[in-house]
Amino acid sequence: MQPAINKHRFLHPNTGSWHRYMAVPALVLFSLFFLYPLSRGVWTSFTAWDGFSTPKFIGLANYKEFFQDSRALRDIQNTVLFALGSAPLLNIAGLLLALLLNRTFKARTTVRSLLYLPAVISPMIMGSIWYLLLQPRRGLLAILLQQIGYGSTSNWMLSGSSAMIVIVLVNVWQYAGMTMIIYLAGLQAIPIEHYEAAELEGASRGNIFRFIVLPQLTPALKINVITNIIGSLSVFDAILALTDGGPGYDTESLSIYIMRMCYGNKTGYSTAVALILFLIILIPVLFSLQFFNAKEKA
Amino acid sequence: MMKKRDALTYPLYPVVLVIALLALIPFFFLFVLALKNQEGGLSSIRLIPDFNWTNFPNAWKAGDLGKAMMNSIIMTGGGIAVLIVFSAMAGYTIARFPSVLNRIIFAILLACMMIPGIINTVPLYTLLIRLRGINTYWAMIFVMATNALPFSVFLYSSFIRSIPISLEESAIIDGCSWFGAFWRITMPLLGPVTSSVVILQGVGMWNNYAQAVFFLQDKAHRNIPLSISLFFQQYGANWPLMAAAATLGLLPAVLMFIFFQKFFISGITTGSIKG
Repeated sequence: MQPAINKHRFLHPNTGSWHRYMAVPALVLFSLFFLYPLSRGVWTSFTAWDGFSTPKFIGLANYKEFFQDSRALRDIQNTVLFALGSAPLLNIAGLLLALLLNRTFKARTTVRSLLYLPAVISPMIMGSIWYLLLQPRRGLLAILLQQIGYGSTSNWMLSGSSAMIVIVLVNVWQYAGMTMIIYLAGLQAIPIEHYEAAELEGASRGNIFRFIVLPQLTPALKINVITNIIGSLSVFDAILALTDGGPGYDTESLSIYIMRMCYGNKTGYSTAVALILFLIILIPVLFSLQFFNAKEKA
Repeated sequence: MMKKRDALTYPLYPVVLVIALLALIPFFFLFVLALKNQEGGLSSIRLIPDFNWTNFPNAWKAGDLGKAMMNSIIMTGGGIAVLIVFSAMAGYTIARFPSVLNRIIFAILLACMMIPGIINTVPLYTLLIRLRGINTYWAMIFVMATNALPFSVFLYSSFIRSIPISLEESAIIDGCSWFGAFWRITMPLLGPVTSSVVILQGVGMWNNYAQAVFFLQDKAHRNIPLSISLFFQQYGANWPLMAAAATLGLLPAVLMFIFFQKFFISGITTGSIKG
């Protein structure tokens, strides 16, 4: 895979060797602003610390506190529920849109761009916009419902479960175009000959999708599933904008909890929560990586 | 995919139309709301705009959005510049010289690619307090560039591997140094991967809220998402003004997208499938 380069050093001994160390600046940057804070975070997660005074080592007390705090456990549930709703829906919607927009028709590129557009907007701003649109009585949805005869004045944000559904749907609305683009790229990588051969053999549409399209979409599926797992389990801005974690703590996610604990001067505790969130993300990611890598080899 | 027109082609248009409308209606409603009159406009539920354009300058002034735009431009531009220099250099060396050191660096970066920024934001916050980096451009620039580093190095190194090394070798035989070969031969070929890094990470930096809310606390350094969220907290009752602020806030990203559409779509795909 890698050609042997070393001979040139003997051919041109004067050119020096610092070109071999050009990754070092990146390592320095990464160490200072990522690895060092991360390792500090691991250490402070075992301390009682307000962020200013000297941290006091308390062992696993932060972790114990976390699992005894009903709000924290509620937040795990919220975060996982959000991901369980969001990641599959995003993939289903993205795949359906990709299959639809892979067909030839006029204005195809325009529609693709239009669907991708929400994904370039800040989730904070997009969430704020949907907050306005979903207001009872005077919001967009309320008005539309009134037009078709449902004089609904209900506020979807008042109950935890309906607020969570709203957050999931808004997130799917915003990012379905993104998963669609990746599925489209996957679909376009499938050679036309494969379809033609299958059609010649008399395969049905369903079978072409199942045996030709789906297996070759594995790389796209892998990227979408993994980015959606990471993205949805670390959800932050969208929830802050839509519900601010409310009502009560009913839609608060773990990343919001981390920020609030940090602002509440529980710095040590919040780093412990961050590491717990890290594990919650890592486990499904590793599982899906293994699943897809096995699939790709097969 | 070349397919003959069959019965399934025709109901396509209504379906596409509905989907396009679903994507567009929220923006349309936002725009109508932003053009509402201040008095009495709220009680009416008509979807007809009042064409009251004054909401835009008012929101611009009230939220100090001009300052926020400048801040976002400086931090996104700086972040992208730092990111490209560091990741192109690293990607090149990793692709061309598989020494133990370079392999270790690449392995570390790959392992950290899966870690979202929020995980180390709190310890980073305490580090930046000590480095006096809170409320500075440079800290946000370096933090955002660092968070985007693993993925960009990955993109650059896999792209550079696809460029034949013989191009550089012939330059070296002609008397170029390795760095000269990188700078004069390889660098100009990195256009496609650079545009996908700029687009993918530029959008992320422009929209950054999770780090901004920690590291940018004074009025003078707020970026766009932070300013819009504070605007909403402050002017919660004034819908037309909020809608105008949100419209102004999303406009730069939308305009960038409209002008560079092609690069966006190809950037996302080279960034993911081929990467």
